[in-house]
Amino acid sequence: MKGAQFLVKALEREGVEIIFGYPGGAIMPVYDALLDSKIRHILVRHEQAAALAADGYARATGRVGVCMATSGPGATNLVTGIANAYMDSVPVVAITGQVATSLMGTDAFQEVDIFGITLPVVKHSFLVNTAAELPRIVHEAFRIARSGRPGPVLIDLPKDIANTIADFEFHDVTETSAAPELHDPSIARAIELMRESRSPVVYAGGGIGMAGALAEFRKFIDATRIPVVATLKGLGSIPTTHELALGMMGMHGTKAANHAVQACDLLICVGARFDDRATGRLNAFAPHAKVIHLDVDPAEVSKLRRADVPLIGNLRATLSALACPLDIEPWRRECLAAKETHAWDYDAPGSEVYAPGFLKTLSDRAGKHCIVASDVGQHQMWVAQHFHFNNPAQHLSSGGLGTMGFGLPAAIGAQFAFPDACVINVSGDGSIMMNLQELATLRRYDLPVKIVLFDNRALGMVRQWQELFHDKRYSEVDLSDNPDFVRVAESMGIPSFRVENRRDVSSAIDRLLAEPGPVLAHVLIHQEANVWPIVGPGKSNSEMLDEVAR
Amino acid sequence: MTTFTLQLRVKQSEGALVRVLGVTRRRRFDLLHLTANATEDGNFLDIKMTVKADRAEHTLVRQIEKLEDVSRVEILGPTKTEHARAI
Repeated sequence: MKGAQFLVKALEREGVEIIFGYPGGAIMPVYDALLDSKIRHILVRHEQAAALAADGYARATGRVGVCMATSGPGATNLVTGIANAYMDSVPVVAITGQVATSLMGTDAFQEVDIFGITLPVVKHSFLVNTAAELPRIVHEAFRIARSGRPGPVLIDLPKDIANTIADFEFHDVTETSAAPELHDPSIARAIELMRESRSPVVYAGGGIGMAGALAEFRKFIDATRIPVVATLKGLGSIPTTHELALGMMGMHGTKAANHAVQACDLLICVGARFDDRATGRLNAFAPHAKVIHLDVDPAEVSKLRRADVPLIGNLRATLSALACPLDIEPWRRECLAAKETHAWDYDAPGSEVYAPGFLKTLSDRAGKHCIVASDVGQHQMWVAQHFHFNNPAQHLSSGGLGTMGFGLPAAIGAQFAFPDACVINVSGDGSIMMNLQELATLRRYDLPVKIVLFDNRALGMVRQWQELFHDKRYSEVDLSDNPDFVRVAESMGIPSFRVENRRDVSSAIDRLLAEPGPVLAHVLIHQEANVWPIVGPGKSNSEMLDEVAR
Repeated sequence: MTTFTLQLRVKQSEGALVRVLGVTRRRRFDLLHLTANATEDGNFLDIKMTVKADRAEHTLVRQIEKLEDVSRVEILGPTKTEHARAI
């Protein structure tokens, strides 16, 4: 059997059902072997989209996403997607073809050191130097990608190894990744802090969903009845409609969430990492709070904020150990009153489409199981603020890397995972152009992804910052020469229509959701629409700016 | 500014030393001294490195410990802390 044939069989054995990729010279032996496999290969139109689709598939399913590309430019095009998975701890295995070992180090055609290039953005990586290593490497790659704190793993496979004929045997050694054992005195100390606290807040991060700890987290909240704030990736850890869900914290968080964190005396951080977009100015973040930090990754605990009680290990076990009733009724009432006082107001002036209102209506009508893949920018924050999620796996958003162009490939990945689900890609006129070519992938596979393209003829988030923090000195944010997106979509076989007025929103959403196949709604919004509230750069989360009169 | 010395044992694998040095640089620690010797059986690399930074040593140690090929990390000797001086 050739190395490439073994690789494909080993992928099947790891449970891989789908690979997103793009062929080329050095990876050709693997593509040849794929012809005889039950694994489905999805041909995207740019390798970056292959990596991002694998990422979206992994986020939506919790399984390892797999992408593949050839050497050189194929491999370098994967890098943004690999980095995206790394920053958000998404389990992805990326397989790259490499020139033959005899040519490596000679600047051969399409030779690039993808192993070296990706070192800072992978959880681990392998260069297959001999055919004998291949069974162990494939098995290890999947184990590492999904164990502990998940992340991307690269396998760089030289062409001669892929063509080597050998007697391969599957590597079936089951290594147990030892999760650190719970430290009883720390649990006792954490419960003591919880019982002493008069105003605790739970800070819910993406780690909850990634750990498969939703049930334990919800039991913990049901038992303690502590108000919950969420990071971008933590939204849906409890349903966003839950009484105790105060909304997203941080730069574009809700007032109720940020005020609660700033006033709390105990912050229970669950699977989050004190990211700067969540904390604002770090030394002013939750200034009165003691911190209990639950995480599977010891490196995240006390990295940016010292934990009074570190609880390192599997969240499922830790959360179960901490579930106990607390006497915090006055604080809970205060938080819930603030939530009501600062509830979103969708009654905006003007006749133009109001994006938050559009998304709220879409969320109400799309059903509670729909998956939303957002791009990056203002619309991403509006999705986080105004869409309802019952599960973090319904909200696919590029948090750490902030990758414009993430949304459409991620939606493709999610739609392949759940062919019958309602999958919506919310994008902007900047972001959509970063992976616009994937409209052709939607058409090729007839994927019923619904695209909502908010168009403000600008790079909206950058424009907003230049307006607010750079004295309205607008630099390279004008996109008034955008193509006609309706015609672009139609030219790629995607039905499309334009929405220009608020009175048309209701019927537009009906049309969008009723379309059986893919569809793109081109939604024009005011060029100067901003995301509110906002915490300015370097400011404390106590200093939230409200909408300013123009 | 903190200066300290780490003793590491890493598996001899593709890029193992580069990985350790890469993490050290990315986490904003400056390398002052480095030695690396293969163990007699050739399976491991023993690395001794002295670094300095204005960040707490655990922020580097825990990142290095996470690397797949690192089997042991020890902090050698007392940590030296200097106060920044104006030049």
